[in-house]
Amino acid sequence: MTLDREKVAVLGSGSFGTTVAHVIASTGRTCWLWGRDAEVTAAINEKHKNPRYFSDRALAPTIRATSELEEAARNAQVVVVAVASSAFREVTKSLGDFVTGDQILLSATKGLEPRTHKRMSEILKEETCAKKVGAVSGPNIAKEILVGQPAATVVASRFKDAIEISAHLLSGPRFRVYGNSDLVGVELAGALKNVIAIASGVATGLELGDNTRSLLITRGLAEIQRLGVKLGADPLTFSGLAGIGDLFVTCTSPLSRNHRVGAGLAKGEKLPQILERLGEVAEGVNTAKVCRELMVEKQVAMPIAESVYKLLYEDLSAKDVLEDLMTRRQRYEIDFDYSFEMPARR
Amino acid sequence: MRAEDKERAVAEVVARIVAAAGDGRGLDAAIADTIYNERRRIEKERSSGGRAAALERWDERRRALLATNTTDEKKALLAKIAEDFAREVLGNFNPKVHRFATKLLPVALSGLLNAMSPVRIVKNFRQLPSVKDRLIVDGMVDEARELKDRGTLIVCPTHLSNLDSIVLGYAFYDAGFPPLTYGAGLNLFTNKLISYFMHNLGAYKVDRRKTAAVYKDVLKEYATVSLEYGYHNLFFPGGTRSRSGAIESKLKLGLLGCGLRAYINNLRGGREKPNIYVIPVTITSELVLEAETLVDDFLKETGQSRYIIVDDEFSQPSRIVSFLERIFELDAKIYITLGQPLDPFGNNVRRDGVSVDARGRPIDTVRYVVDQDEKPIPVKARDEEYTRELGNQLAIHFHRNSTVMGSHLIAFAVYEALREQQPSQDLYRFLRSTDGELDFAMLAKRVEQLRSRIEMLASQGKIRVDDRLRGKTGDELVMAGLRSLSQYHKRLVIERKGDKVVAVDRNLLYYYRNRLLGFGLEEPNARPEGASARLQQVSQ
Repeated sequence: MTLDREKVAVLGSGSFGTTVAHVIASTGRTCWLWGRDAEVTAAINEKHKNPRYFSDRALAPTIRATSELEEAARNAQVVVVAVASSAFREVTKSLGDFVTGDQILLSATKGLEPRTHKRMSEILKEETCAKKVGAVSGPNIAKEILVGQPAATVVASRFKDAIEISAHLLSGPRFRVYGNSDLVGVELAGALKNVIAIASGVATGLELGDNTRSLLITRGLAEIQRLGVKLGADPLTFSGLAGIGDLFVTCTSPLSRNHRVGAGLAKGEKLPQILERLGEVAEGVNTAKVCRELMVEKQVAMPIAESVYKLLYEDLSAKDVLEDLMTRRQRYEIDFDYSFEMPARR
Repeated sequence: MRAEDKERAVAEVVARIVAAAGDGRGLDAAIADTIYNERRRIEKERSSGGRAAALERWDERRRALLATNTTDEKKALLAKIAEDFAREVLGNFNPKVHRFATKLLPVALSGLLNAMSPVRIVKNFRQLPSVKDRLIVDGMVDEARELKDRGTLIVCPTHLSNLDSIVLGYAFYDAGFPPLTYGAGLNLFTNKLISYFMHNLGAYKVDRRKTAAVYKDVLKEYATVSLEYGYHNLFFPGGTRSRSGAIESKLKLGLLGCGLRAYINNLRGGREKPNIYVIPVTITSELVLEAETLVDDFLKETGQSRYIIVDDEFSQPSRIVSFLERIFELDAKIYITLGQPLDPFGNNVRRDGVSVDARGRPIDTVRYVVDQDEKPIPVKARDEEYTRELGNQLAIHFHRNSTVMGSHLIAFAVYEALREQQPSQDLYRFLRSTDGELDFAMLAKRVEQLRSRIEMLASQGKIRVDDRLRGKTGDELVMAGLRSLSQYHKRLVIERKGDKVVAVDRNLLYYYRNRLLGFGLEEPNARPEGASARLQQVSQ
């Protein structure tokens, strides 16, 4: 069986998976969309609506939803995986049963695997025979894209043809796609910014103003970039769409899930309640833990991310955390010597 | 290469070089660049009759280039240049001599112990001890042996010493493998006896002073063509001997990529056994013949001349003799450990020749290289990525199959303990420093702890441990380490003074300690940034 060069599949019928499928199908192209829930797939096929997300928005009629993974992904030239990071390995492992070496696999999930600290594209490579793997990441609030507001994203891969083919499929009149060969940087920026977004949500919850938010975004970017570079990322990636672009939108938009987690914590709510109310995955909650492990392992100072960790897992109050951050030692803005304030090993 | 294949190979290499240069300006550039580089190289040589003649030959070519009018004339000129290079590179391999040479080799190495002339070696054939007992060939040997009949092998070893290719050539012969073709630097041919074996064990000559792109392409194409003809190759993917003593982690991908090119060419040519299998091999020994020169070169600030060391221990027969004596006296073994066979994309290969993914599911590797019309084609950028992946996998297997020996264990423990005493000192100062001594009992305890951490890694399959390290007390381990590190090298590495142990030559200490880098054994803060940056730089 040979590759069907016209076939595209998106795995995961959550809000972002649905949005990606809609963008691809908006040009009239057939886009397969896989989801576990047969009710959702039936609704998408019959009514062109996702009853779970944006149920008032009509989706492109050329989306073909299915709950058979193989039907969606076999022989597809490009497969975009947009499931929660907690389910990523399991789905990818099943996908590996029928992937071939000429297929392009992209991750649209912004997270890091607990314990192994692996990026999603690394999981794609471990669980399938694919080599042409990559990631889609950028300031992409699903709701805005669905209503056709102008937006852009980044497709990252070490393989030039993977970037070119995917960019061609994803771009439309209202959606621009930029390529980047720094896959490590794009994925790390996308995952780590969720931690900073929680901090920004805290600021919102404490009813702090724009100065504070700007402080968090700027210094937050500096620290995720520091860690990223230690892990092999290109520092320039962090000043692009997948870096500052995504960080900015997640930290300012009240629609962002991670932002909402922070706001809830600031108001004294407990994490389990917030997550229940949210009903969706907030990747930043898990990423904060992985991020904390990485900063210790790599000895990178990340005061904001560390505060978020304490807030989530050590029961510190938002006020204490803020106090902590504001009374840190004075320093120069551009400074490469962080040796005196490394996170403590345990 | 067999005589009947040789002419065919030269013609093929030349044709590919000419085709790659194209019809336009690339053709002119390839010729002009070669003339320029070769002239410059020759001008730097000491003046002799040969030099003048060589210069004249290139001047003649320059005039010829200026006089050419048509593309065909230019192609003919480039073909002539490439052909000369190809003939120079091609070894004088002769299967009959190979069989003789491999049989003679262990005896010859043993014979070197007594610094005998080759004639006396042959005379004493029976009485001499064999070097065979010192070589332990282990790991996935059966798998590799089976794969040699299913496709063509690229044996990729780590590189410590110039003795490696000889030792490997012998070990593979002894383990039932056909001869391996490999490129060896001209400097390895200076010792006449060694040169004889080099040639006849399948070596072709690589002149590292020649920097012209056409010359390098001839080398790569020759390796590719020989793989396509089914000759098993030996590549040292680290490029040169490890200067720092560390196991290679960044590999040279240029030569490594020949495997994938050969595979694609085989598919296109419809060859019966198109598959290329890459066999990672880790060579480990207690002592390294050229350790002193290598580490000095590593630590030298002026890295320009780093690639070519002409005058080292390897060119002094007396040093080889003394080295082998030590190896025998210490009852030391040289481990040659074959790792998991890989395909040119970095996937694992089963013994039946089928590539599998990490979950053991079979892979159709042709799909990696087909174009829109399902035809296999080479694509430079894509293939470089595949090769990078292969390089990453090779580096992982190199580490996994490394065997920890007494000298590494003690060097690591002593180095780290001393470094803790002077943690903030710059590496170079630290290595020059003579301060610091270690309490014997404390060191014994540290060595024991280190061994149990290493045994833990070994139980997870991340490293291997020399059997002689197991079950020994800390005291015994320190004594054994002192013994091996204080005998062969001209400079003492470490020394016992009463109940203290001191490091005498910290450069050598650093060299043997570096063998255990990359396993997470060192305290992250103990290694200065500069050192890790330099490690990467050199192995790139």
